[in-house]
Order: sequence, then structure tokens, then C-alpha cells
Amino acid sequence: MPLIKTPPPHGGKLVDRVVKKREIAEKMIAGCPTFELKPTTLPDGTPIRHVYREIMSVCYGFFSPVEGSMVQNELERVLNERRLLSEWIFPYPILFDVSEEDYKALNVKEGDRLLLMLKGQPFATIDIEEIYKIDPVDVATRTFGTPEKNPEVVREPFNDKHPGYVIYKMHNPVIIAGKYTIVNEPKFKEPFDRFWFPPAKCREVIKNEKKWRTVIAHQTRNVPHVGHEMLMKCAAYTGDIEPCNGILVNAIIGAKRRGDYPDEAILEGHEAVNKYGYIKPERHMVTFTFWDMRYGNPIESLLHGVIRQNMGCTHHMFGRDHAAVGEYYDIYATQILWSEGIPSFGFEAPPNEVDYGLKIIPQNMAEFWYCPVCQEIAYSESCGHTDAKQKFSGSFLRGMVAEGVFPPRVVMRPEVYKQIVKWWKVYNYPFVNRRYLEMKNKELEIDLPAMEVPKA
Amino acid sequence: MPHYISVILDDERYEKIKGTPLEEKITYLFGGQLKSLIVEVPEEKSEKILKAFDKARIDSRGYIEDVPVAFRRAVFEEIAKAKSLDVIDKVLERLDDLVEAGKKEDEYIPPPEIE
Repeated sequence: MPLIKTPPPHGGKLVDRVVKKREIAEKMIAGCPTFELKPTTLPDGTPIRHVYREIMSVCYGFFSPVEGSMVQNELERVLNERRLLSEWIFPYPILFDVSEEDYKALNVKEGDRLLLMLKGQPFATIDIEEIYKIDPVDVATRTFGTPEKNPEVVREPFNDKHPGYVIYKMHNPVIIAGKYTIVNEPKFKEPFDRFWFPPAKCREVIKNEKKWRTVIAHQTRNVPHVGHEMLMKCAAYTGDIEPCNGILVNAIIGAKRRGDYPDEAILEGHEAVNKYGYIKPERHMVTFTFWDMRYGNPIESLLHGVIRQNMGCTHHMFGRDHAAVGEYYDIYATQILWSEGIPSFGFEAPPNEVDYGLKIIPQNMAEFWYCPVCQEIAYSESCGHTDAKQKFSGSFLRGMVAEGVFPPRVVMRPEVYKQIVKWWKVYNYPFVNRRYLEMKNKELEIDLPAMEVPKA
Repeated sequence: MPHYISVILDDERYEKIKGTPLEEKITYLFGGQLKSLIVEVPEEKSEKILKAFDKARIDSRGYIEDVPVAFRRAVFEEIAKAKSLDVIDKVLERLDDLVEAGKKEDEYIPPPEIE
């Protein structure tokens, strides 16, 4: 068997749409009409998405080969076949949406360049290729599927309790399509600055600093408990002639559902795993991607494959109920996708076995529990004492945390728990709540340097 | 099918039931590092709980989770008072007050004092 090597970026080349030279950026934006970016909100005003995070992920290459907001034909292709017009697979609509009122006030047309402002400063441009309308409910429904059209994995119709469905449902009806370009590089706030490794940089660190030949990606939206730690350690035993050299944790940072942990605690909780030697830092690295999570289980796993291949990972671990919420999908939907494909979503074969597909290698994992008979943390497919299992339930742990009970070391490492408490003291709350979402939406994870918009 | 509520026993709670018949009902989890009492909740009563708290749900183990801290505390208070696990009716009698207390928890839960 040949040794596994770092895969190429999805689409062949990393997207880099960040202008670093101020004079070039100023020429690009001179005289442009401007638009202050706004969050997507629930009817009660709770922010659930900020398009700036998608612009960051596009321009820094996380979503390569996607370069901007999709034109209508591309949106249809993605919804019908999960493919871009260039044939490369891609799971989700990426859209720049504005309200009818804003569109009228903007008075822009195809061929124009629109300057997107953030926190009152120039941030990015969109070179308008097309302007069209969508029915947001239709987009939301087709994005996630239905039990009738996708019977292989969709178990219940999506509704307003599903955060990803609601994000698309609350999109504005007017779509401005075109390539994004960041013209004013943001400065990251702590602790996000420590974990910012966009794909080009991440590949460089993996190759030259870490010197990892094989790397397995771990998706997270959680502060890690010991079940997650065991998943990482055991999944990393895959590789080729040796286990994977590195484990790349990639946290999804953005608006999350209430009851999840704050982003800062997620990042520093994972960092504590390597800082305190549970997986030594020579083998473990924590990073993040901006994305307001859609909780789309198999669909989300495709995006995770795209992102982590772009970051330079050779493998991706997928657990049970991957990136899921509720019981909309089969709990093994992601694993079905990556082991046999889901024809109704456009995959007659797994995404890494189709033309223009991914090169990252899936590692499907079942679950870990504590077995009092084995007296160790056991893998569900190995342990024969199923009746005695003690599961690492995330909600059980949240209950323990909320009650102020210090979790035992075998459930959550004390140094990880202390990161939860650290951020609990900052926000007066251990989990995401409305106040946290509003604060995050106002302050964001970045600041922008002051920049004048020159007249044309 | 009944559901369950797990009441975690930290040292303070354990002291309150030590020496009572409840001690024999303690479930030791994770190699004995965690003690809990398991309260069985008939389905029609678990439905009332799920209806009262919008975030509450049944997890993959059949346990009622994501309920307010006030609710969990009330379950333990009733257990400690009755020295029995048959307390769910008593807790449901307090449901209106617990719903109100739960609403306040959406905004603030005091952090533990740890170093």
C-alpha cells in the first residue's frame, strides 16, 4: 500500500480572496455603494447567523473552490445534486441575501461592485454577477431533505425547531450573487487569535512545524468530555503503516443553539486536552472555522470534509449522530453517506469515490461508553457488556455542569471543566443563551482597522 | 415506557441521605467516581415535565435531561424529605413555581467557586 500523502485542496487550488495591500484595496473600493452587514435573526430578534462568517470562510479558502455567493443555476445544482457548476461537490447554498427594502435602497445592478461594511468599517466587496429571488422556505426544505424525497436518511420533516432549517428559512428573499473579496483584514480577539489557521497556513504548519504526514480531523461544537477524547485517540489509530501522525481539532465557531457551550470555552477546553497532556501537543492541534452551524448531519459532514481537506487533513473521523440535533436524520446518516452514498442527495457512491469528489478518507466510528465490567472506557463495537454501559451523555453532563457539580476526571478532565467555569464567570452563564448570542452578534470575534472609502 | 431522572449526589447531598435506606439505592457510575439516585417517572408524568420546560428532552438513555437546575434541586429536596425515591407527584405539585424559577435560569446561573 502506498503511503498516504496530503490531499490537494478541494477543486485543485485554495481560494485566496484577501487583499493585503492597502493601496490596492483602496483603489478597489473607491466610490463603491456601501451596505452594512446585518445578522439573520429570528422573528423575536435573536441573531442566528452573520454572513460575515461565511465571507471569511470563503475568502480564506475554507470553502474552496467556492468563491462567493452562488448564482441561481449554481444554487439549483447544489440543492439538486450537491454539486457546483464546476462539477466539484459542495453541500450547502452559500448566499448573500438582502431584504426587498434594502435591495431597493441599494439601487445596484449586475456588474456593480458593492462594498460590504462591518462594524462601520469597510470589510469586503461583492462583484455582482446576478441578482435573483428565492423562496427561503423552499431553499430550507430542499437543503436538508424530506422523508419522502430522501427516505434513506431523513426520518422526520424539518421544522422551526431545527436551527439550520430556520437559518435558511429566515434568509431574505433577494440574493446578490458574485465573488467576495476581503479588502480590510480583520484583527482577531482573544482567544480566537490563537486558533486561527486558515487553510494555507494550516497546511504550512502541518508540513513544516508539526511535520505530520497523516492527519485526522475531529469536528467539534462541544467542550470535550472523555468520550470525545477517546474518539480522537482511537480514531487516530487509523492511518497507513502507522497511526495518523496528528489530530486536527476544528471547532465550528458562530451562532449556535441555546444550551451549547460558548465558543471560547469550546476552543480553550480542547486546548486544555493537549496543554495538560491528555493528548500531547506534538500530536494535537486546535483550530476553528467560521460557520453558523446548520446541524445538517450528512450534509454538514460533507462541508466538514471540504473544510478539513482544504486544511490539509488526510482523514476525517465521523461519529454517530454527527453534527446533528433532534431526530430528523437517521443517527448513522453521515456514516451511510460515507460508506455507501445517499442517491437521493446525489451520491450513488461515497463522496470520496465519485468524480470531482473529496480525497479525504472517512473513518466512521461508533460510540464510547464507560463499562463497569471492563472497568474502562470501552468501544461499543468491542464491548460485550451493552446492558451495563454508562454513556457519556452530553445533556447529562450539561445538567451536572449547571448544578455546579465538579465532574469526575473519568467523565471530564478537571482542566477542561475549569475552562467552562472561566467563561461562565465572564458571561454569567455556562451555555449559549439569548444574551450571549446578542453580545456575540454585536461584538463579533474580530475587529476591523479603520479605513477610509476614497471617492471615485 | 417509564423515563428516568438522575439526581447526582455531591458530598453535601450524600451527607443528607447517609444512613437512610436511600443509601442502598445509590447507583455508582464511572467506576464509583459519581454517585446518583435514579427516579423513575411514568410516561404520563414525564410528558407533563417535557411540556412545562421547553428545552427538556429525553436523551438516548431514556433520561429526562435539559431541565432547569431548580427542578433538579426540587427532586433532591423531596427525596431528602421523604427518604424515598417515590417523589415525582410531590415535585409536580411545585411545577408552576419551578417553571418560574426555570425562566430566571435562562439569564443567570451562579458559577461555582473553584480555583
